[in-house]
Amino acid sequence: MNKKIPLIEIKNLVKRFGNFTALNGVSLDVYPGEVHALLGDNGAGKSTLIKVLAGVHPATSGSIIIDGKEGKFSTPRQATDAGIGTVYQDLALNALTSVTRNFFLGREIKKGPGAFGIMQMKEMDNITIEEMAKIGINISDPTQAVGTMSGGQRQTLAIARAIYFGAKILILDEPTSALGQKQQMEVLKTIKRVQKLGHIAIILITHNEIHARLIADRYTFLSLGEVIGKGLAEELGGDDIKKLMAGGTEIGDLRDELGA
Amino acid sequence: MNSSQQTQRQESDRQADKKWYSPIFSRPEIGPLGVMLILFAMLGYFSIPEGEFSLNPFSGEGFNALGIRNNFRVIAQLGIVALAAGMLIIAGEFDLSVGSMIGFAGGCMAMILKWGFAIVIPYISFKGGFHFEGLKILEITNVSPLTAILITLCFTLAFGWFQGFLIVKSGIASFIVTLGGLFFLRGVTEVSYRAFNRAPDQTAGSTTVTDLPDIKNIINVPGHGEMERDAAKALPNDQLLEILSTVPAHTIAKITENLTYVNEKVAANKTILAAKKMIGTLEKSLEGAKKSGNESMVEILTKKIEAGVDVPAVAAKAVTDLDIAKAYIDTIITARPVANFFGGDIMEPVFSWLYYTADWNVNLYGNQFAKGMYSCLMIWFLIALACYFILSRTQAGNWIYSTGGNLSAAQANGVPTNKVKISLFMFTAFCATMFAACQVFEVNTADTAKGNLKELEAIAAAVIGGVVLTGGFGTIGGIILGTIIFGIAKEAFFYIPGIDGSFYRVFLGAVLVTAALTNENIRKRIMGSV
Repeated sequence: MNKKIPLIEIKNLVKRFGNFTALNGVSLDVYPGEVHALLGDNGAGKSTLIKVLAGVHPATSGSIIIDGKEGKFSTPRQATDAGIGTVYQDLALNALTSVTRNFFLGREIKKGPGAFGIMQMKEMDNITIEEMAKIGINISDPTQAVGTMSGGQRQTLAIARAIYFGAKILILDEPTSALGQKQQMEVLKTIKRVQKLGHIAIILITHNEIHARLIADRYTFLSLGEVIGKGLAEELGGDDIKKLMAGGTEIGDLRDELGA
Repeated sequence: MNSSQQTQRQESDRQADKKWYSPIFSRPEIGPLGVMLILFAMLGYFSIPEGEFSLNPFSGEGFNALGIRNNFRVIAQLGIVALAAGMLIIAGEFDLSVGSMIGFAGGCMAMILKWGFAIVIPYISFKGGFHFEGLKILEITNVSPLTAILITLCFTLAFGWFQGFLIVKSGIASFIVTLGGLFFLRGVTEVSYRAFNRAPDQTAGSTTVTDLPDIKNIINVPGHGEMERDAAKALPNDQLLEILSTVPAHTIAKITENLTYVNEKVAANKTILAAKKMIGTLEKSLEGAKKSGNESMVEILTKKIEAGVDVPAVAAKAVTDLDIAKAYIDTIITARPVANFFGGDIMEPVFSWLYYTADWNVNLYGNQFAKGMYSCLMIWFLIALACYFILSRTQAGNWIYSTGGNLSAAQANGVPTNKVKISLFMFTAFCATMFAACQVFEVNTADTAKGNLKELEAIAAAVIGGVVLTGGFGTIGGIILGTIIFGIAKEAFFYIPGIDGSFYRVFLGAVLVTAALTNENIRKRIMGSV
């Protein structure tokens, strides 16, 4: 695999909401088989960047190039078709129905006319089990309700679904927040497995520096809508990361400040 | 595959071991099923007359042939709208206008059948003074049952679509919009009845349509053309015999055989009744004798009763040609299949078999008790089958569940949730129209109070059957059970000796709240384990 060619190139992306500049010329390259951690404090512009990539908001200027092709998204559908799969924090799952029904929600395999086509349950069950196993979760019963699954398993389901339906660029929006310690590790393992698949570029948005350091290959730090630092994992030291995450200010002597 | 993980303790290990009965008791329908069976048993045994103990629950009034026919009519009618209400609740919305929609559709259908249909554009005319005139674009008189139903469907489906459209586009709670629909439709129905009944030959101010012909029983009588069955049977004797002359011999033979059986049965029952009556008289005298202390009389009467009475057997009536002719007219197939489809009877061969061969469907006088089941039972069954298929097997079903279960998730996955909701509002209107069609063609009248409170009964039936009001949870099987419970409770409580029949409402209220609590519990158990 030639890692020199980025799967998605974001060049000089600007997004303004009226007078407010949310993103002021952000550039970002994400390579296949890599986890690209997008870090930054609240209000740094992470959410806006995801929403522009996912087609929720159109960009004001700048370009998004996927596989050498210029992408212009004005609807989420266009972004999905271009291969961008976004897994939001709420995961977009219906807890009351089965794993399979959620996996194929809105894209059911069916035979017959229109919405009254008969769902091919067996086939869908098998695909669900297979796809979940690929990234490390063995579900014995695909008819169990999603509500009975753990938070980590749900995250895996959402990721597996995005990949199966053609996501080449996977955007994970704070996947480890609101989870217990053990489940956070489960999710990180899942992300690691997706990374190992080799053909998927992962953009990981997180607040958690430790998690980022465990799995990220490359970092980009955002602050007030601009990139304030980027680099490979091995180039950056722990202090650099801490500093950049806080938006460039020194927090090394936080202990002293609090002590005072 | 990660083999090291399989030996580790997994999340699933924390679940208690499943017993063989676990899958049965984790079904949400198990509670309603139990309640239904208890009610069936109550109705069966309490309706057996006092002193005639029997282990057979079918021997009482509740489940004799006529009881089954009548009870399942009530259940099926409610069932038609409960299915629609249940599907809509599963998708997260309500429709309170169902009851008024039934009244509106019934009135619409009956008025079209009676006076025809016309589209009139009103305009202001100044010729001979200021007044309104109407420009008739289209006029049909003598509307066929099918056309009447289709025209009514145009109105009701449009109204259902409008309500759904308003709700999904404005975001106003469906409770308010359909509550508006409830008042609006009932009002429109009442106003229309009064307006049309203003004609000189009608009772002014009446809110009913009566005197519709018995459409489902219009038949083609040989030599007479189309006429109502009852009118045909009332023809003069010579004409009846003339009709009979056109009937093939083997049909006559079959009818004669059946009529002979009926007459013998009637005669036999008359004999039994006469014997019972005599014994009854003797027992009364015996009681009198005991009271007055007439020992010798008591002895004589006791002996007499023990010996039994010997009444002369009543002779069976002879089968006449006129009887055969009338019986033949009864067998002629309707010339209005659509009206018969909604208002007629079904399963007639089964009920005939029960009478002629199984010797069960017999009333006190020896005649056939029930002709068949009401047609609405079949329509309920057909709609239920379609609903079950759609909800559990098709893509649309998955969309309905997700629309009610997690609206934003459904939208994020590309489910057209607005279309789903609007379609279900239209489906509710469709079911209300089917309900109305069954009523109109069965009783040949319509009035403005029809369908009153059915919207609430339908919601109650769905909830008793395990549907959660917040949406996303429920099954068609459950809704059917809920409907049967709701429909049978009144009858079951009516027969309990020494208890006020209105206790059934107390019972239903308690069952409804218990069901809602149970449903919520099951839902939380599914949602809650993160």
